[in-house]
Amino acid sequence: MKIELKKFGEVLVSRPAGREAYLAMSAYLTKDIGSDEPIEIDFSGVKVLAPSWADEVVTHICKEFGNVSLSNTENASVQATLKTLREYSDLKI
Amino acid sequence: MGNELENMAYDWVHSTPENVDIRSEWYCESRDVFQSRLDRMMNDLLKGKNVQEGKLYIASAIAGEIGNNSFDHNLGNWADIVGVFFGYEMEGDVLKIVLADRGRGVLSTLRGVKPELENDVDALRVAFTERISGRAPENRGNGLKFVRENLQDENMHLVFFSGSARAELNEVMDIHDADTVVNGCLAILTV
Repeated sequence: MKIELKKFGEVLVSRPAGREAYLAMSAYLTKDIGSDEPIEIDFSGVKVLAPSWADEVVTHICKEFGNVSLSNTENASVQATLKTLREYSDLKI
Repeated sequence: MGNELENMAYDWVHSTPENVDIRSEWYCESRDVFQSRLDRMMNDLLKGKNVQEGKLYIASAIAGEIGNNSFDHNLGNWADIVGVFFGYEMEGDVLKIVLADRGRGVLSTLRGVKPELENDVDALRVAFTERISGRAPENRGNGLKFVRENLQDENMHLVFFSGSARAELNEVMDIHDADTVVNGCLAILTV
């Protein structure tokens, strides 16, 4: 299962938007996925990612599923946000 | 205070409510308006190629965190004018982004979860260094830590006013009493 974050926008910054994205994913993308099935979160095409949005999506997905990988994370704001989530939001990946 | 944009933001937070310029192109009444103007800023500046791309993405994320904080922590609690001032301009190769709100300010927001906070200076220090949120028990409060660390990493500069305190952040963080009082927040980011 691949989740392409660019489908939620290029500039992903607010918590309400992140929460809405996570709820939409839960309803339409991950509803029938087992907790151990592999999930790839693909950051390609995302230009701006902030920790508020990512905390509502990436942190939650990683807590809900046990086999999550991150791809195409080269963007500077993606790198910086993942660093913040690992440090302050207990993101384990 | 500084250049014209900074002066407009300064006036925006200091004016009496009836004199606040809500027709300003920089006024964002709602989060949706703020988001669309943040998108537009990034795309306009990408076309201009004045700011290194990676740095622009980080600056946009910082502006997004600060602007959305205004909406997150003042929802249903605005003192008078709802929303934020959000402006930007290039001065040669230097990008300046200015954000302001007429909300509760950092001290009032954090005192709900940390009543021992004594003043605005303490509140700003906690906001930029501790994982704490005025919206506890929601598990959040990483935004301003992201801001501080990336200012250091990317060699940017931020001046942040709230109440009677002024924080200046770049490679170091300096927080002290300001010579003005901002009932809400005023942030000036230089990239």
